[in-house]
Amino acid sequence: MRKVLLIIGILVFVTFLPMFADMYLIHVASSIMLFMCLALSWDMMLRTGQLSFGTAGFFGLGAYAAVIAVDDFAITPIMSIFIGAIFAAIVALGVGIAVLKLREMYFAITTLALSSVFLVLARNLSDLTGGAAGKVLFNAIFDGDPKKTYWLIMVFTLLVIGISEIFQRTRIRYAISSIRNDELVAKSSGINIFKYLLIVFIITSAIQGAAGAIYAQQYAFVEPESTFSANFLLLPIAMALVGGIHSTLGPIVGAIILGFASEYLKLLMPYGHLIIYGIIIILVIIFLRKGVYGTIVDKIRSN
Amino acid sequence: MKKFFNWKILFSLMLIAVAIFRPYAFFYGLQRGSLYSLIALPLALILGIVGLLNLAHGDFLTLGMYMGYVIFNQFHFDPIISMIFIGPFLFLIGFAVYKLTIERVLKSHHLNLLLITFGISITLVELVNVFWTSRPRNIYVPYATRSINILGISVGAYEFLYVVAAILILLAIMFILKKTRFGQAAFAVGQNPKGAAIVGINVKLVYTITFSLATAMTAISAALMMPRVSIFPNVGGPFTMKSFCLTAMAGLGNLPGILISGITLGIVEAIVQSIPGYSGWSDLVFFGVLILVIALRAYRRAER
Repeated sequence: MRKVLLIIGILVFVTFLPMFADMYLIHVASSIMLFMCLALSWDMMLRTGQLSFGTAGFFGLGAYAAVIAVDDFAITPIMSIFIGAIFAAIVALGVGIAVLKLREMYFAITTLALSSVFLVLARNLSDLTGGAAGKVLFNAIFDGDPKKTYWLIMVFTLLVIGISEIFQRTRIRYAISSIRNDELVAKSSGINIFKYLLIVFIITSAIQGAAGAIYAQQYAFVEPESTFSANFLLLPIAMALVGGIHSTLGPIVGAIILGFASEYLKLLMPYGHLIIYGIIIILVIIFLRKGVYGTIVDKIRSN
Repeated sequence: MKKFFNWKILFSLMLIAVAIFRPYAFFYGLQRGSLYSLIALPLALILGIVGLLNLAHGDFLTLGMYMGYVIFNQFHFDPIISMIFIGPFLFLIGFAVYKLTIERVLKSHHLNLLLITFGISITLVELVNVFWTSRPRNIYVPYATRSINILGISVGAYEFLYVVAAILILLAIMFILKKTRFGQAAFAVGQNPKGAAIVGINVKLVYTITFSLATAMTAISAALMMPRVSIFPNVGGPFTMKSFCLTAMAGLGNLPGILISGITLGIVEAIVQSIPGYSGWSDLVFFGVLILVIALRAYRRAER
């Protein structure tokens, strides 16, 4: 009962935040929620035991798809977010069929290469994407109203949290965790491993694509180097690791901690703040295997 | 065996054809490809013996180049001679990184290993960025820009050093692995770490030395590249992926294969670059091959 009240309290607070917060805080909160979605989607893929480095690639793909949909095909900005998600999902379907036979190191490095492939495509298909100079969005969402954009991102984040909970609570969870724990056993108990991996890959890629589309709407500009930036890969990974992997609450906690920390760090040291993320990733892997949330849960259980 | 023979003939025929029809692409590709192999060899060594894909490999190369830049600027040493300083420096860096981070997670899940090298890579790039800013630096030595005439084609002479170095390093590694005590121990560890430990090989020591030595080896490519490229924080980054691509193409443990794959891909890349209007697409050569080769390998494994 207390848990439900807490969740409702947080929801009410988050919903009415734009009413009393200033512009800067609204912006920070929006970007934290967007990164939270990326962290959750990365973690959802990791729950199958596959480390994906493709987050930034699908993020950029969604961003480009949305901008092109609005500029060249005159689709309304709201719809362009769906276009971004669907486009990322279709690409993920094609790519997934090819690369999901791979495991561990090979899967990770191929997805890392994918981001570079998308980057090269965006730079070279200059008729469509504006080449290295990038492309400006003519018609941004809600005419660039930050409060409405905030609520949009909030709804999207709740949706992603919901999907993550579905992955944790329904039958699909057993399939996913058995694939992670022992693929051979999973296979011999009749689980179609490839099918489940493909489903998870497509859903997480669609989330990343939609996040990219929203980001592009927010800033009304796409450009190869910044849209496919390693930031959109690195920060979500760091968030999920800091919070605790293989859970919904972990990435959320991590996103809130690192999100505020990164805003502060950016003010403190504009150029070198990525060092901190690198060091955080290293330290968490060495000393805090289960992340902040995982460690707290363990402490409570052992008491 | 017969299949291998045919493949060799095919490779030579391809080389001859390219040399006749696109001589520039041939020489340029040969030089670039040798450089790729030179950088890929240490990565393949770590992957084969320690079983670790080091995503920070290219960033050690970057670090070596900045070290060489500092030596050149402060003491006016020739870049190639500065190799003898960069080597030990990178050895120590590799040793420290290995002992402080990688060794602690070696026994845990593979994904942790991959993630930790990813974290190291980001940290190194950003450290370089903070120390030296992202401004590109250049080193000028007069002999590096000389060109020679081969059958009426003028090509850069300096870059042939890459070819020589790649062959020499390959021979040196093969010699060490086959003939020395340490090399044989390392080979055994690469084959089966548990078995090697049972017969009394200090696996921990072999891992440490292999990692540090391989890191030190990037000093050679760093020193040779310095006069010909701009040095900026992300100069080494793309080489990690290219190196892994070559290793995947050659197959784990096939060191001569790395040189052959390197030259092949170097030449293909040079051919794509020589097509007017499409030079920007040459980056896709490696990724295309990477995805194709890995996918084919995976299917073959799945069939078995």
